[in-house]
Amino acid sequence: MGKRFNTINGTDFMHMISTAGDNLNRNAGRVNALNVFPVPDGDTGTNMNMTLSSGVEEAGKRPNRHLGKAADAFSKGLLMGARGNSGVILSQLFRGFAKHVLNLEEAGPQQFAAAFQSGVDTAYKAVVKPVEGTILSVSREAARSAVAAARRGADCAEIMKAIVENGQAALNRTPDQLPVLKQVGVVDAGGQGLLFIYEGFLAALQGRIVSSPEAADDPGSPDIAGGKESPAAAAGRVHPSRPVQALLDAGGIEHGYCTEFMIRRPAPGKQPGRFHEASFRKEIAQFGDSLLVVADDDLVKIHIHAEHPGDVLNYAMQFGELTRIKIENMREQHSHIAEYGAAPFPPAAAQREVRETRDEPQAPLSGHGVVAIAAGQGISEIFTSLGADVVLSGGQTMNPSTEDIVKAVRRVQARTVFVLPNNSNIVMAAEQAKELVDDRELVIIPAKTIPQGIAAMVAFQRDASVQANEAAMNRSLGGVRSGQITYAVRDTEIDGISVRKGEYIGIMDNTIIVSRADRMEACKELLSAMIQTGEEVVTIYRGEDSAEEEADELEQYLIGKYPGLELEVHLGGQPVYAYLFSVE
Amino acid sequence: MSKVKIVTDSTADIPRELREFWGIGMVPLKVHFGAETFEDGVTIGSEQFFDRLAKAETLPTTSQPSPADFLEIYKSLMTEPDTELISIHLSSAFSGTYQSALLAKSMLEDPSRVTVIDSKSASYGIGLLAVAAAEAARQGKSAAECVEVIQRFRRETHVYFLVGSLEYLQKGGRIGKAAAVLGSLLNIKPILTIDGDGTVSPADKVRGHKKAMARIVDLLREKKGDRKVQFAVAHSNSPGLAEEMAALLREQLGADQVIYTTLGAVIGTHVGPGTVAAFIYPE
Repeated sequence: MGKRFNTINGTDFMHMISTAGDNLNRNAGRVNALNVFPVPDGDTGTNMNMTLSSGVEEAGKRPNRHLGKAADAFSKGLLMGARGNSGVILSQLFRGFAKHVLNLEEAGPQQFAAAFQSGVDTAYKAVVKPVEGTILSVSREAARSAVAAARRGADCAEIMKAIVENGQAALNRTPDQLPVLKQVGVVDAGGQGLLFIYEGFLAALQGRIVSSPEAADDPGSPDIAGGKESPAAAAGRVHPSRPVQALLDAGGIEHGYCTEFMIRRPAPGKQPGRFHEASFRKEIAQFGDSLLVVADDDLVKIHIHAEHPGDVLNYAMQFGELTRIKIENMREQHSHIAEYGAAPFPPAAAQREVRETRDEPQAPLSGHGVVAIAAGQGISEIFTSLGADVVLSGGQTMNPSTEDIVKAVRRVQARTVFVLPNNSNIVMAAEQAKELVDDRELVIIPAKTIPQGIAAMVAFQRDASVQANEAAMNRSLGGVRSGQITYAVRDTEIDGISVRKGEYIGIMDNTIIVSRADRMEACKELLSAMIQTGEEVVTIYRGEDSAEEEADELEQYLIGKYPGLELEVHLGGQPVYAYLFSVE
Repeated sequence: MSKVKIVTDSTADIPRELREFWGIGMVPLKVHFGAETFEDGVTIGSEQFFDRLAKAETLPTTSQPSPADFLEIYKSLMTEPDTELISIHLSSAFSGTYQSALLAKSMLEDPSRVTVIDSKSASYGIGLLAVAAAEAARQGKSAAECVEVIQRFRRETHVYFLVGSLEYLQKGGRIGKAAAVLGSLLNIKPILTIDGDGTVSPADKVRGHKKAMARIVDLLREKKGDRKVQFAVAHSNSPGLAEEMAALLREQLGADQVIYTTLGAVIGTHVGPGTVAAFIYPE
């Protein structure tokens, strides 16, 4: 089977991207597991998945036979929904693709291949320091082979096959290009995510369904070059039933379908009578959560989050005719996850797509403001108390999308908005947000950790000039050493440190420097590495996993060992990282 | 040749011996602990003030001298016919003292003999102007020339200070632009200064005491440039801090003679204990 694809139009494109979307969605966990850092928020898969979903959703809203228009919608969705560095690069890859086919109703093989090349060119331009052995180099090799295949006279399906094969080969080479990949024994996560997308495209063009993840357990799976896996990689390969996945989905969704409908009573052929709301609620509550029932005797309105919406509807049918049925796949929705810390926000928005308030400022905007990205109630309050106008939640396993950042920026009534990403995986999305806001000047201060962000916040002076603030905030980043304590989600060897799953790892400025079974020990060792003169200002932010007695013990230890230290302890309430340390 | 005399008020924090040496007149402001009223520097000194402050249930308040208070001092100083007065006072943004002095001047038979100057500063920032003027007067300079000296010193003088707590400035209503620093959950030490308007404003914010002291030294170094300068250190109830600051000035900025002074009751009411200030001014 398989149509001979001499041209690709908008409908074909839609089919390609939704197949790719499904494929990536099924395999997001596997991509997450490839993250070099064995930390609970290794989230390349999740980020790429959500980015792609956003693109597919946007394309789905504007279906078009015209390839250029379909690709444009896809590209816009990707741009807005881009999360994490890999998500941003993905959005740039398809931005270039869409640009190339903009005016084409359909693309022949040459145009198809050239569009992939255009994507690569755009993505390379967007990254300040392109690194070999990542999604960028994989995409580059793939595009090169596409162009070569087109020159040889291949049709679109054959071109796509060349992309997958050469992309896979390039992916297998990534451990040779990036030493840390070799050390840990994995291929690059972003590159793998891209391969899943390309495989989806190929499947669509070949008219078949992509194989399910159980098949991934066989030795032929593409985790490392030559099919031979190191023990570390084998240990790290994720099986869907492993608890690690539950951890990764912890911040995410258990009952995946938002289900709403109405029951018109009485059921046909039945007598009208009282509706027993209490027992109805009790029964239907078993199917999921977030239950809302509003009833009178002839109309019942139900809202529930269920994993099996069919079962809910089947149960409800006995009470009457079902009408106004609406079921949404919440895992494809992306924007309800972002929360805003600084100003009151209607709770319903947490469940639904964030509605942008159309604020037409009466007077022209002036002055400066700050948007900080952070998770944890206490951390959020600290940023607000230091003068941040909006605190955008970074989430547990999700990074905010470009659109989330744009919306946060628009809530600040100032002409110039400084953005503190506070996470190395959010910096690119923040930079991308710059292109999407034209009524405000955005200045991205590249803070890569919460302590850096806080230092930048202290340096910020609302009355100073933009240049002075930018200089002071940038300068402050180098004046603070950041430490993080979390737990390892798998065994690995990295930066010369042996890590066992479940141990507590200490990270200093994005390098793992210690892994211990005892959390106190890990804390003490990390702090000792961070403290140099013994006269510094040390701040401990304890997270939601920490205990007060533990923090007290740490305080005593520090005061005893370094009497000249100035110490502060705060309840940060952050998820995933039991402790954040800053040494200035 | 006319004789020029210098007058200031109690917030100038001029060390007693220095004030007596130069013969500088002083009009006291008032401090009120409940119903009890004290004359700053006359019936209550620094040490007694901070002792009482520590025990007080409610914060004391302060008030300016009345025009009559000024008039009395002015008249007593101008008994000789050719005497001219230069009256230098606390920033008008902080107090009505300057206004009172102006009113008193207008009530004189010959107001032209008195020049009233707004120091746009506080504490030794006023005192050093008075001392510079007194020195010029003793050298035989005319009133106009002394005023020029004061104006030059005022332009080229800077102060940076740390407070133990912003609460005193806040409650006393003199916090100015430093109000922006309030409410931070982290222990931020604002480095305060008095700007060109004569109000308090934050020069910088840092974390930690040592960094704050180091930052003050940096700021002073910037103001120093290539000039030959003098330094003074004032403190409220914190001789340790004063010594720490003076040591830094000596080690890092080559200061040889640092003038020490204590913050009086009125200034103390508004900045609270644990305050240290460093002044830099021309030679």
